[in-house]
Amino acid sequence: MNTRPFLGWFVSPAGLVAVGLIAAMLAVFQYSVRAYIPGSLEVGGFTWQNFAAMLRPLYALAFWNTVLLCFETAVFTLILAYPLAYALVRTNSSALRSFILIVSVTPLFLGEVVRTYSWMIVLGSNGFLNTLLLKLGLLDRPVQMMFTAGGVVAALVHVTMPIMVIMLAAALSHIDRNYEKAAESLGAGPVRVFLTITLPLSMPGIVAGFSTAFAWTFSAFATPQLIGGGRVSTVSTLIYQLGFSSFNFPFAASLSIIGLALSLAVIALLRKAARPLERMASTT
Amino acid sequence: MLMRTNQMAANTSVAGSDKARPAVQLDGVTKRFGDSIALHEAWLKIRSSEFMTLLGPSGCGKTTLLNLVAGFLEADGGEIFIEGALVTETPAHMREIGIVFQNYALFPHMSVAKNVAYGLKTRGVDKKEMARRVDEALALVKLSGFSDRKPRQLSGGQQQRVALARALVIRPKVLLLDEPFSALDKNLRGSMQVELKQIQRELGVTTIFVTHDQGEALSMSDRIAVMSAGRIRQIAAPDEIYRRPADRFVASFVGDANVLNGRLVERSGDAAVVSIGEVRASVPAATIAEVAIGGSVDVFVRPEHLSVTSRGASGSLPGTVTTQVFQGGHVDLYIDAPGSARDPILLRSPGIAGLSSCPVGAEIGLSIGSDDIVAFPPGEAP
Repeated sequence: MNTRPFLGWFVSPAGLVAVGLIAAMLAVFQYSVRAYIPGSLEVGGFTWQNFAAMLRPLYALAFWNTVLLCFETAVFTLILAYPLAYALVRTNSSALRSFILIVSVTPLFLGEVVRTYSWMIVLGSNGFLNTLLLKLGLLDRPVQMMFTAGGVVAALVHVTMPIMVIMLAAALSHIDRNYEKAAESLGAGPVRVFLTITLPLSMPGIVAGFSTAFAWTFSAFATPQLIGGGRVSTVSTLIYQLGFSSFNFPFAASLSIIGLALSLAVIALLRKAARPLERMASTT
Repeated sequence: MLMRTNQMAANTSVAGSDKARPAVQLDGVTKRFGDSIALHEAWLKIRSSEFMTLLGPSGCGKTTLLNLVAGFLEADGGEIFIEGALVTETPAHMREIGIVFQNYALFPHMSVAKNVAYGLKTRGVDKKEMARRVDEALALVKLSGFSDRKPRQLSGGQQQRVALARALVIRPKVLLLDEPFSALDKNLRGSMQVELKQIQRELGVTTIFVTHDQGEALSMSDRIAVMSAGRIRQIAAPDEIYRRPADRFVASFVGDANVLNGRLVERSGDAAVVSIGEVRASVPAATIAEVAIGGSVDVFVRPEHLSVTSRGASGSLPGTVTTQVFQGGHVDLYIDAPGSARDPILLRSPGIAGLSSCPVGAEIGLSIGSDDIVAFPPGEAP
């Protein structure tokens, strides 16, 4: 009957991890519906109070800021990654291909703290970028880049690039060169070929890359914490502050639950909005 | 030669017509990929409304030549003209050519009508005119009811028709066909060939057709350019290619050929006489110009030009039947003739009589019954 007798054993480690994850999520959920007792690590009885508190403008704003930050990061990553992915797929030079791969994938191999610290060196008031611009005479005095949303987005774009480049390259490599050649022969210049053929046919990759970038950024912690320096508040930095500065575990837990629900909702929405585009581009 | 050139120039000035001017002209076009030469100094003139086939095995440079005409590749040397205009440096989207790819390359995200309309949109044709011409093109390829379908909802043959309509609707100066039949099954292929040829003749569109299938080339073309290893070996009408191949490669690539061991007996003007054993045959002298009288030559004889006679009949070669292959309309006989040929000789016996009259092991005589025999200096069988 069972033609693959070891299949059950192969998936068992993954099953174990899944069980652990579900248990942890249940624990978080359990915390989120308990009352907070100031000055104590113990939690009180059952309450929905934590969720109700989230409607206050301070927290609602943090959610809104986070969604905005994720959106900006995903958009900039897409704009920067698309040409790279295109060049990666279409170049005949293997040297250029390796160069693009190395440049776009290295951020994955740097630790989050090391990478973020590098950005702090680049973005600081006496940092690399300001010094360079001052020396070149493009600026009169340093520009504030640390502790701004812009700085956070720049660093987040850096870490999201690899996955976006890889997903876009995968989609682009499935587009038959003959589609573009056929369009060219029919009188379409490079811009028209790109807008009417290449771009629509790469839509599945764009949607996949965009939603992945969105989800990654939503859960990013070290980058907004260190570069934002408390002045850029996102859901994850808020959870950290509440949990580890105020020791309000119940409220931190309820923020986590809502954050998770929100990012799932946004991704589901993106997918739904993009479905007609994907169907349009599908070749099968 | 000079006189003919003058005559042609005179024709052009008197008539001023497009007929005298080649629709496509390649002057010594060369293309290299790294160190290897994909196309070596190709010279080719294609007349207006002509159906020209580029025939050769894979890697012979035929697709490179097509891509050069289309503008997808840049030539490393030589010039390309389309309707008299120099286009060597012109980008593909300004050359006004129609192209049908092997895999059709229909835009998967557009309907049939949108696919066909694509080339009209880039030309800024107005909506009403566009709709009219799309309908017209779809009617031409007998797909009138299919405007709203997506390419994936069509069969291979229908996709090919759409690709053809899309290429023709822009009224291209040249139609390029890149092995368009190779993805179709055999029965469909035949009927599509007939239909394509009809449409091509009806519209009078100059066509360059790339194929490795000699049957396709012989049946559809006005002229064929046979290519091998980046060079054009012969440009001629199909019957000329078949009857008077210019070299060993053409003789063996187009149609089946038996190579017999012969000797040059005499030469007089354009003709020469060769002997194969006791048999004498007349061949063109041009292809064996460098062979001395009495020197050995390879004589190429088509299977249908051989016939079976009784053993020892005068003017026949002795042989033994080794294999019979029944092909329906004819019988292929493989005959061992150690004195006359290295390899078994293939003989095509019409009807089914050959099955009973020439059983395996039968000792027979072979006679050569045609003037369409050519000889080449001896060489390795290609």
